[in-house]
Formats: sequence, C-alpha cells, structure tokens
Amino acid sequence: MTLRQRIESLFETQVAELAASEAFRRLEGGAAERAAYDRFVADVVRTHLKATEYVAFLCALAAPPTSESRLRNLLEEIHHPGLLRQLAVGAGLVDRLPELEAQASDDIRRLVVEPVLYRTLGEVGLAAFCEVVAFEYMLARLAGRVATFLATHRGLGPSALRWWTEHADVDVQHAAEGLEDLETYARYYGLEDEDGLAIAELTLRENVFLRRYFRSETPAVAAAERESLSCAS
Amino acid sequence: MRLVSGTVYALRIPFLESVRHSLAGRTWSDSVVVRVVDEEGIEGFGEAAPRPYVTGETPTDVVAHLARVLWPTARGVAVPALRDPGDLVAVERLLPDGGAGAWRHHAARAALELALIDCVLRRHGVSAATLLPPRRSRVFYGGVISAESPTQAARQARWIRLAGLRQVKIKVGVGDDIARVRAVREVLHPDVTIRADANGAWSPAVALAAIEQLARYGIASVEQPIPPGAPETLASLRSRSALPLVADESVVTPADAEAHIAAGAVDAVNVRVSKCGGFARSVAVARRAAAAGLQVHVGSHVGETAILAAAGRHLAAGLDTVAHVEGSYGTLLLVEDVTDDGLRFGHGGEAPLLTGPGWGVAVRVDRLRRHAETIVELT
Repeated sequence: MTLRQRIESLFETQVAELAASEAFRRLEGGAAERAAYDRFVADVVRTHLKATEYVAFLCALAAPPTSESRLRNLLEEIHHPGLLRQLAVGAGLVDRLPELEAQASDDIRRLVVEPVLYRTLGEVGLAAFCEVVAFEYMLARLAGRVATFLATHRGLGPSALRWWTEHADVDVQHAAEGLEDLETYARYYGLEDEDGLAIAELTLRENVFLRRYFRSETPAVAAAERESLSCAS
Repeated sequence: MRLVSGTVYALRIPFLESVRHSLAGRTWSDSVVVRVVDEEGIEGFGEAAPRPYVTGETPTDVVAHLARVLWPTARGVAVPALRDPGDLVAVERLLPDGGAGAWRHHAARAALELALIDCVLRRHGVSAATLLPPRRSRVFYGGVISAESPTQAARQARWIRLAGLRQVKIKVGVGDDIARVRAVREVLHPDVTIRADANGAWSPAVALAAIEQLARYGIASVEQPIPPGAPETLASLRSRSALPLVADESVVTPADAEAHIAAGAVDAVNVRVSKCGGFARSVAVARRAAAAGLQVHVGSHVGETAILAAAGRHLAAGLDTVAHVEGSYGTLLLVEDVTDDGLRFGHGGEAPLLTGPGWGVAVRVDRLRRHAETIVELT
C-alpha cells in the first residue's frame, strides 16, 4: 500500500467511527436534546473558526508541485469563518461567539507554546496537514447529513447551514486533492513512508472528529471492562 | 495557614491506547485528585495513583482513607510556611504515617501531601523549586513500550523514534519478550538505551534465564525481575545476574530502601512520588539510594495527570543525580489532562522546568468534575 492509501484507510476508519458514534447517531436520529445540538454547533464553530490560519500555515510549507492547490484551498477557506459565525448566529449562539473566538485563539496559542514532539518543521507540518485533510475527507462524506439533521431536528435554515452545504459540495474534490498533496509533501521533504504513517497514526490516535466536535460532551469511557487488576506500572 | 475544606475526585480519564504489563492492562487513568482550600481561599492540588500490587490501595481505599483518616488529621492544623530546602523535613512531619501496615496508604498520603505543599507554596507565591532547587536546566524523559505483540511494540517504537527519545523501557514477562525486544531494537537507533521491566513476573530461576537472554540484545538493566519480597532473594539473583537490577515495587518505604541497600540487592532504585508516599519521602528515598551508590530513576505511574507529573518534574530536576526519568506523557496517553497547558515533553523527551507557584500547574476543576466517577467533599 502507498502512504496515501494507508493514510486514507486511517481517515475511513475515523469517519466510520464518527458516524457510528452514539453522540452522532443521537443528533442524526433526533434523539438528542436541543442543548446537545447547541453544544455540537459551538464545538464545530470553535474547531474551524481558525481554519484559515491553519491552512495558511500549510500553504507556507507546501511542496512546490502543490503550491497552487494549497493556495486555492486557502482562498476558499477565507470566507469560512464568516459562514461559521452565520451558523452560530442562526443557532442562537451569538452571545457565545466572543467566548468561542477566544477559545479558538487559545487553541492556537497552546499549539504554539506546547513543546514540539517532532524533529523538524516538515514533520510538524505533516501532522497538521493530516488533520486538515482528515476534516476535508470527513466533511465531504458527512457534511450533507449534518446539514440535514440540523435542519430537521434543530430547525436551522439554509443561511445558517451554508458552511455545511458548501463543504458537502466542494470537499470531495478537496479531500482527493488533499490526500495527493499529503503524499507529495512527504516525498518532497524526504519523509520515509514508515515515518509519514507513524506521524499520521500519532495525529489520529484518538478520533480527531469526536475529540473536536464533541469536546463538550462527557467523555465516554472505553467499553472494555476493568480487569481484575486494572493497573499498569 | 490552616486547611479548611477540600474535595476528593476519583477520576476515570480514558487513555488513547491501552497499556499492558505482566500484572495487568489498563485503558484509563484512575488517579485520585485532592483539592484543598485554606482559610483565605487559596487552593492546592495533589494526586494519588493507587496500585493494589504496589501499595495495596485501590481508588476506593484512597478516597476512604483521605476522607476518614488523613483529612481529619490535617484539617485546621497550623501549617508553617515552606521557604527553603530544610522545610522538607517539616513537610514529612505534617501527615501521619498511616499506622499499621504503613505502606498501604502511601498513595493517599502522597495526594494530601502534594495538595498541602501546593497550597502553602501558592499562598506565599513561591515555586516547589524552593523546597528542592533544580540541579539542571531541563529534564529529559524516556518512553515506555507496553507488553504488546512485536508488531505493536515496533509501532510504538517508531513513535518513540520520531519523538527522538533516547531512553526506552520495555515491559517484559508477558508473551514473547525476546521477539518484542528484537522488534523494538530493529526500529530504534543503537544509541538508544533500552531497559526492561518485568514488574515481578518471574521466579528467580526464570529471571536468571530471561536476563541472560535479554543481555544479548543490549538491554541496559532489568527492573523488578521477581515479585517484592525478602531483599536477600533479590541480592542472590543480582549476584548471578548478567544485567544490573532495578528495584521498583520492592522499594516503597524508606525502610525498604534501607533493607535493600543493606542486602546489596539492587543496582538502582525507581522512585515514584505516589508509590513513595509523597514528595518529601521520595526525595529521602532517592537521596538515601544515591548516598549508597545506587542509580536513581524517577519513574511514574501510567496515567498520571499533570499534577503528579509536575511533582515528578520537580523531583527529577532537583535530585543530585538521576539516571532515567519517565512520565509527563500527558495527552500522548490521556484523552484530556487536568490542566490547559499540559506538561508533555517535546522532541528528545526534553521538558522545561516548572517555575510557577506551587507545583507550577493550573488545574481546571471543571475537568476534574468532568472526569470524576466519585466526588467527596471534605469539610
């Protein structure tokens, strides 16, 4: 398998996990309380409000053969914060917007001040690239379903849902392009496939979508039963 | 200063990946965190990592012992300011030993001791470095490879290689140890130090044979090859062992340390703050071991949050000599830590010193509540 195929397989697993998760199914099935939809919307807004900055960072690191597609991606991304604010306002979360903006900024601050695990900026970039493309990949497959359940069960109108519907329309192409660019990036910067895959695995150890979109929910403890001596070292 | 109230949180924070060794496997952290408050409303935080096979404590035991025994002893008692290294002795005297079977309550004691120190230091705006001044400008951590299949172990080794860690400990005593060690050795550069930890999995005879095999793969030392017991048994094994031996579960109390030193049982001691009953005792055990010419390792319990990690960081920074340090895995292991700015190390295992008041971490009570299975108010 190529690096691209191996990373795509990680993405597929994570998208399937998200769609099969109880939290997602409750929202999609209309079984969740209104507050759960609001928490979900707030978490989505916080997750993506600074996406332009992340994409710009990746633009700066782009391998020359992918510069154009990364720039195009950035241009498309530039108006997304506006659509996210529209989503928050449409969901009646306008009062929470300053807090969400501050949290999104703080997420970047923490990324900047936290010790870097990798040896080179190239490796840091690959980790960031993986996460950004993972979201494009997921949105291409699930954004339409999310827009539908937010309209059906939370009563959001087309204007509020534009962030979702736009992603559902364009991101199939982005995701495919993103995966190709990922592999090109790894090749250009001389990252071996094993290392590239290890970086992707480390980045996606926890389901990145559940972690970001349901961060306000109480974490679900793994189903595995506690062993008789449930202790390690 | 007097402590007037507190809260105990028995946590269950999921891991990103299960961790296994010869005694058990775990998929979440079950640390117990204590929050204390003084009469001015200043908070302090401490943490216990209960392990039934190390100090005989479960999380339930720790919560009960804190609420029924330790807290009534500490509540309202005048606590002196902690202003210099000599005050570590005063810290040691602040809490009771635990009575009969003293070692049994080490983790509970550690939690309240850490919280008390944090509170006192915060009140005066000084860092724990006041009690144990740093001897180095950075702390370098190693990684731990779980007792998984060779394929899984190799995968973990690749992560460790990417993170540039220079020291690795492999859990052995489960399954095909040699295949696991070989798989890890193939991934890591030859200059990475690899140690083995059996967590007491072997009998002396099995240990001898296993150690001889491990020695062929460049293993630097073997930790806790046999279960805790008479130091003479370990000493006998050591006299025939092809590799240096490290005591972990065997050395919990200062008395254990003395007995193992007297018997010439080991080459090194692994000191862990929760296991040893707190910061002051950990310093005492480490200093005693070092004075006897033993290597000192500063270890951690899997799943420690930023609170124990911070105490461990201060310990590793302040001891005169430290051969290996583990811990500070933070969100490499936990889905969420209890502080905003985690303590995770960076590339090469390098981590900065902590300079803020107390242990130097800002604990988020909302996260404690979020991950708590049990909450007990101390009044």
